[in-house]
Amino acid sequence: MQFQPIYYNGELLLPKIEFNMTPNQSIGIITDLKRKQLLMSQLVDHSHYYIFRAGQSEYLRLTVEELITFLIRVTERNERVALLMDYFALKEERKIKIKDLSSSKRMYVTLLRVFFARQPVLVLEEPYFYLEEQDRRQFKRILDDLTKEKQILILTSNLEDGIISCDAIYRLNESGFHPLDIQDSEEDKQEVQKQDEANITLQKISTKRNDKVILFNPPEIDFIESVEGSILVHVGGENYDCALTLTELEQRLLNFGFFRCHRSYIVNLQKVREIITWTKNSYSLRLNTGQDAVVPLSRSKLQELKALLNI
Amino acid sequence: MSISLKRARAIFVKDYKEFSRNYALSIMLIFPIIIALIFKRAGASLPGASGFLFNSSFVLLTCFAQACLIAEEKERNTLRSLMMTPATTMDVLIGKSALVFVMSAVVLAISTLLFGYEPANIWAFVAVIILSIILYTAAGTICGLFSKTLLEASLSILPVAFIFMGAPWGAVLVKDYPVFKVLDYMPSSQLVHLLGLSNTGYTTGDVLKPLLINLAWTVILTVVSVILYQRRLKDE
Repeated sequence: MQFQPIYYNGELLLPKIEFNMTPNQSIGIITDLKRKQLLMSQLVDHSHYYIFRAGQSEYLRLTVEELITFLIRVTERNERVALLMDYFALKEERKIKIKDLSSSKRMYVTLLRVFFARQPVLVLEEPYFYLEEQDRRQFKRILDDLTKEKQILILTSNLEDGIISCDAIYRLNESGFHPLDIQDSEEDKQEVQKQDEANITLQKISTKRNDKVILFNPPEIDFIESVEGSILVHVGGENYDCALTLTELEQRLLNFGFFRCHRSYIVNLQKVREIITWTKNSYSLRLNTGQDAVVPLSRSKLQELKALLNI
Repeated sequence: MSISLKRARAIFVKDYKEFSRNYALSIMLIFPIIIALIFKRAGASLPGASGFLFNSSFVLLTCFAQACLIAEEKERNTLRSLMMTPATTMDVLIGKSALVFVMSAVVLAISTLLFGYEPANIWAFVAVIILSIILYTAAGTICGLFSKTLLEASLSILPVAFIFMGAPWGAVLVKDYPVFKVLDYMPSSQLVHLLGLSNTGYTTGDVLKPLLINLAWTVILTVVSVILYQRRLKDE
């Protein structure tokens, strides 16, 4: 997949983007509203891309069953309505008019349009935004099934929504287009170096931003991630570069309740609110700070974490 | 461009259900009948009554319904979504127009009977009504394409109502302003001429001229609406 660079007032809004979309893979791009629109505006070929925009609404006066029947007929598929209603888990709602559904269910029914798309690539803008947890699970299941024959691209501003059903996630912002390492793979065995005694007494984590050196107390830090080799320290929704490696940081922060939950992530356990167990990545941690604070948790680290938390 | 009757029928059925459950729109179906009943009281002898009945029905029912059907799909972004399905432009337009056509034909048949109008030449009458329904459907399509919401659509038919319904009355001004002679070539004026033929004594030319003029209008407006439809939706 390829996107051309876009400049606005001499500022690079969209860098030249190129990534491979292999079949059976869903890709997420975490970005803002402006860039989402710029990305979608470049996908004009209707025979190749099915675009589901966030503003999509539905024929409100039809019942759910009538809508599914219409979608089957208009896309010339051969499925039986009753079977599909079962598959979508909409049996109880079949006689209800769409305008009378709850807003989460209405969005879920609207999202079903992507199921009927014949294009090889499905592009979805903020699919999970209006969905409640149960509908999220349903829709994730449908998307996972769709991934078997189609390529799926999810554009969202929320990392958690991306983690739910994406195999690979990129972050696109003013600093460019970078892959995030969320894959749950075998831990690479790094040699843990013995720390000097002196280093443990050092309490501040020094970071850099715009040539300024900023020092943080460890409890202030939400989590630390490694993006393409550089270390980002997240504090209150902002991120700061750090010159240390994750292994060094892990050693240094161990005594402050920090935990290496993933190859590329260290999280402040004091700020963990929830362990999410149903995302593509198997597990994620939700923090109780700011927005977009979800951190992947490796399967192999789960036991260790449970032991630490006495659960 | 491929046309599939199966897809057009799916759109027809879907629009029928949507339209019949939207009472603000479907109430328009009874207006021609009410007008017919009122004018029947006033007496069929009233000059121009039949012309007014048909012309106002075409604008209030045919044109309005089609404009609303298209504008509502645009408002909800479902038209854009439809474009990504195998349904082609023609499938969508045929499905919608067929619904509007059937509704208009049935309602006009009822109101003609109630009004008690007896055409001089039944075939010419049927032909001109069919042509007019198609013509006003095309006009409605154009109105729908230029409006973004249902509300805008119901306002956008005002100019159509003014120009088409008003044209026959423009003839009154011809003496003072010869410019208004062009109004005589409007399809609504031609329809009035055709309806006004008396049972005795009319020539083939009297019948053929309005029919041909209205045929030309129908072809032009239909082509314009299809082209506009394709062009407007490409920008979306």
